Amino acid sequence: MFCYQCEQTTRASTGNGCHEVKGVCGKDETTADLQDLMIYGLQGIAQYAKRLRQFGENPSEADDFMLYALFTTLTNVNFNASRFVQLIKETAVWRDRLKAQYEALAEQQGVAAEALTGPGQWRPASTLAGLMIQAQEAAAINLELQQVGEDIIGLRAMLLYGIKGAAAYAYHALMLGYRDDDIGAGFEEALDFLATHPGDADQLLDWSMRIGQLNYKVMAMLDAANTGSFGAQQINTVNLAQVKGKAILVSGHDLHDLAQLLEQTQGLGINIYTHGEMLPAHAYPKLKAYPHLVGNYGTAWQNQHQDFTQFPGPILMTSNCLVEPSPAYRQRIFTAGPVGWPGVRHIVGGDFAPVIEAALALPGFSEDAPEQLITVGFGRDTVMGVADKVIDAVKAGAIQHFFLIGGCDGAAPGRNYFTEVAEQAPDETVILTLGCGKYRFNSHDFGDIGGIPRLLDMGQCNDAYSAIQVASALAKAFDCGVNDLPLSLMISWFEQKAVAVLLTLLSLGIRGIRLGPTLPAFLTPALLAKLGEAFDLKATGTAAQDIQDAMKKAA
Amino acid sequence: MSEHQITLTTRDGHEVTFSCGDSFDVVSAGEQAAILLPSLCRDGGCGACVGHCAEGEYTLGEHNAGVLSEAAVSGRDVLLCRTYPQSDLKITAPYDYAHIHFGHCEARNAVITGLKTIADRTVRIRLSWQDEEGGKAVEFEPGQCMELEIPDTGIRRAYSLANTGNWRGELEFLIRLQPEGRFSGYLSRGAEVGQVLKVYGPSGAFGLQSDSLNPAVFIAGGTGLAPFLSMLRRLAEWGEDRSIHLLFGVNRESELFYIDELDRLKQQLPGLSVTLCVWKPEPDWSGFSGTPAEALQHYLQDHPGDYDIYLCGPPLLVTAATQVALARGIAEQRIFSEKFG
Repeated sequence: MFCYQCEQTTRASTGNGCHEVKGVCGKDETTADLQDLMIYGLQGIAQYAKRLRQFGENPSEADDFMLYALFTTLTNVNFNASRFVQLIKETAVWRDRLKAQYEALAEQQGVAAEALTGPGQWRPASTLAGLMIQAQEAAAINLELQQVGEDIIGLRAMLLYGIKGAAAYAYHALMLGYRDDDIGAGFEEALDFLATHPGDADQLLDWSMRIGQLNYKVMAMLDAANTGSFGAQQINTVNLAQVKGKAILVSGHDLHDLAQLLEQTQGLGINIYTHGEMLPAHAYPKLKAYPHLVGNYGTAWQNQHQDFTQFPGPILMTSNCLVEPSPAYRQRIFTAGPVGWPGVRHIVGGDFAPVIEAALALPGFSEDAPEQLITVGFGRDTVMGVADKVIDAVKAGAIQHFFLIGGCDGAAPGRNYFTEVAEQAPDETVILTLGCGKYRFNSHDFGDIGGIPRLLDMGQCNDAYSAIQVASALAKAFDCGVNDLPLSLMISWFEQKAVAVLLTLLSLGIRGIRLGPTLPAFLTPALLAKLGEAFDLKATGTAAQDIQDAMKKAA
Repeated sequence: MSEHQITLTTRDGHEVTFSCGDSFDVVSAGEQAAILLPSLCRDGGCGACVGHCAEGEYTLGEHNAGVLSEAAVSGRDVLLCRTYPQSDLKITAPYDYAHIHFGHCEARNAVITGLKTIADRTVRIRLSWQDEEGGKAVEFEPGQCMELEIPDTGIRRAYSLANTGNWRGELEFLIRLQPEGRFSGYLSRGAEVGQVLKVYGPSGAFGLQSDSLNPAVFIAGGTGLAPFLSMLRRLAEWGEDRSIHLLFGVNRESELFYIDELDRLKQQLPGLSVTLCVWKPEPDWSGFSGTPAEALQHYLQDHPGDYDIYLCGPPLLVTAATQVALARGIAEQRIFSEKFG
C-alpha cells in the first residue's frame, strides 16, 4: 500500500504517505491496492475509448462507468474490498468490449489496429493474492520511484487526483442526467496519457492544467445540472435545531439522492435533515419546497461520530466523507452511489425503502428545540443579482476586500486558521465561503455592509464555479484582471475534489492562493517551488499576518 | 480500595483507558465507566472476553479451564471478566475498537411472542419490544448476543440472536435446555407467551469479518447455530452472496432443527453449502457421521485453501475444531470463536 492523496496522510521524516496496513483514513491495505489496480484497468478502458473516437464512436457508457469507478477511490468514499474485486472484473469487461469494437472498426476501415500494452492488455488475476501482486507490480502510484524520482511521481499523482476529483463532480451531474461528450473525451485522454508512464515534468504540469480546465467545464456542467434540476439558488434561512418527529439525516453531496428521498418520504411524517456538504440543498427552490426538509443537523464530516451517534434516526451517506461507523449507529447508517463500508447496508437504484423503514422504527426527536437560523443561498445568481450594490460599495470604500475562505474541513488543529481569518477579517470586508470548511464560522454573526451580508455562503465545494463567475464579473466591472481584484483566496483542502478545484483555479491563472492547513504531500519541495514561481501558491501562515498582507491589496 | 488504570489496546490499535478498583473485574469497571467491553457469560465460563495482559499485576478469578488453559494462564492470557488488577494494567484485546460500545447498557422490556420446542432439548423463544417509546428498532451485528433476565430474580443469561437486526422490534433466540440451568428451568416451568422479560444488550465481538475476502467455514454445535443463522439471514436479506460452508453438528438426529430454513438459505445464497453432522446417528442416517470437528478435518483435506474459520458451540467442540484448523495450516488470526458452557 502507498497512498498520499489526502491532506491527513502520514507525514514522516522518512517519507510522506500511508504505507502501513491501514491508512489514516481507515482504508486497509487490500482495499488500497485493489483501488490502484482498478485505476490501472480504467486506463485500459481510456486507451480504447480514445481510439474509438477516432472512428467517430462515442463510448459514453464506458465513460459513465469510469466516472463511477474513479469516484469510489476518493478519500473516505468506499472501503469495501469485495466491491473492488467486483469492479476490477467489470473494468476488464468494459475494456474488452471497447477493444473488440475498436479492432472490428479498424479492420472494417482497413487500418491497422494499434497493439496496446500495459493496461490495454492486462488480465485480472483470478485470485485475491494474484490481484494484490498485480497491484504491487503494475499499479502502485509510486511504482517507478527509483527510475523517475519523486517529482515525477508527485506530478503523476497530482494529475490522477485532479482526474478523480473532476470525475466525482461529473458523476454528480450524471446522476441528474447531465453529460458532455467532450468532457468524457477529456477524461479518456488524461487517463490514456497516464498509461504512457509520462516522465517529462513540464508535460505533466501542462496536463494538470488541462485537467484544471476540464474540471472548470465539469463544474459548469454540475452548476447547470443543479440549477437546471432544482432552480437557481435563492437566499433561505436554515434551522439548525431539531424538530419533533421521525427523522432521516442525509450527508454527502448528491442532490439527486436527496431529491429522490424527499419525494419518497412525502406525507409519511418523516423530517429530512441535511448534514455536512448537503446544507446548500436548502437554497434550491425545488428542494426547499418540500415542507419536510426541515433543517440541517450537525456540522462537518469529521464530527460525524458525534453527530450521527446523537441523531435518533437513520443516516444516508451519499458521497464522501465517510469514516468508520461506530457501533452506536452502525445498524442505521446506509450508503448510496459510490460509497461503501463492509457490513453497512448499501442502497441500490434509488429505492430508499430500507431507510424509510428504519426512520419509522427509530424514535426520532421527542421535542422541538429553539430555532437557530443561518442563511444560505448566495450562489452566482444571487450575488450577480446585487452586483450593482456590491460594486457601488467597493467604489465607496464600504467594502475594502473580499476573502474567499472555503474548501473541505478536517480534523487537523491547524484548520483553526480558517476560523481565525473569518473572525479577524476587518468589518469592511466580505467573506465568500463554500464547501464544508464553512462550519468553522457559519453560525457566527458577521453583520452586513449596507444590507449586503458580510458572510455569503455560495454552496458546495463545486460552487467554486460560482465564485469564479462572480470574481470574473467583478473584474469585468472594474476593468481589471481577477488577480487585480481586492480578493484573497484562503483554501482549505482535504481530498481530491479540492485538488481538482485547485488545478482549475491555477489553470485560470489565479495567483496568490493560500493553501492549508498543510500542503499536499505529493508536492515535493521542487514542485512547490515551481508552483510558487508560476502561481505564487503559498501555504497558509498566521491569520493575522495573512489578513494584513491581503489588506495591502485593498480596493 | 486502590484504583488502577486499565489501558486496553484493541486489535486495530486503538487505546481505551479507564480506572478499575482492585475489588472489581475489568469488564465491570468498564461498564461503570460506560465502556461496554465484549463479553458473554461474565462468569469465566465462555472465553468471550479473553485478552492478554502485557504489563501489570493482577489476580485471575475462578474460571473454566476449558476456555483458558494453564499454559495460557502462565502466558498471561486473561479473561477480563475474571481479572482483578493489583496495579495499572496494559491489556491487548482480540477485538476491534468498533466492538466496544460506549454508553450505559439500558434494559428494555420485551414480551414473549413465541415459545416452541424445535428439537430435543432445544427451545426457540421469540420476543418483541413491549414499549413504543424507544422505537421498534432492533440493532445488533449478526453474531452478537443479548442478556435475558429471569423475571423477579435479577438473574441474567446471554444468548446469541438468531434473527437479524430489524425495524419491527423482533428478537429470536435458540436455547439448549440444560438440566441444572436457571434459565432452562424458567423456560421449562414458568415461561409462557405474554410474559415480559428484561433484555440487555447487544454485546459481544463474535461476528462476520466483513472486510475479509476469504471463503468461510462455519462450525456450529447445537444451538451454536444461532449466530450463524443471523449472519446467513442477513447476507440473504442484503443479497450479499459469499462462499461459506456450514458444518452443523448435534449428538443425535432428534436434536437437529431448522433444516428447512437452511435449505431456504441455500437457495438464496448460491455460495452456501451445508454438511449436517450427527455424532451418534441411527443406521439410516445419510449425512456425516461424527462431530463437526471431524467433518472440518475432511473438508479442509478435500478443499485446501485460505479460509476464515468461525466456531460456535460447546468448549470441547471449539477446542477440537481449532486444533484441526491450526493443524491444516489456518492462521490463528483467521479463527474466530465463541464458546458456551
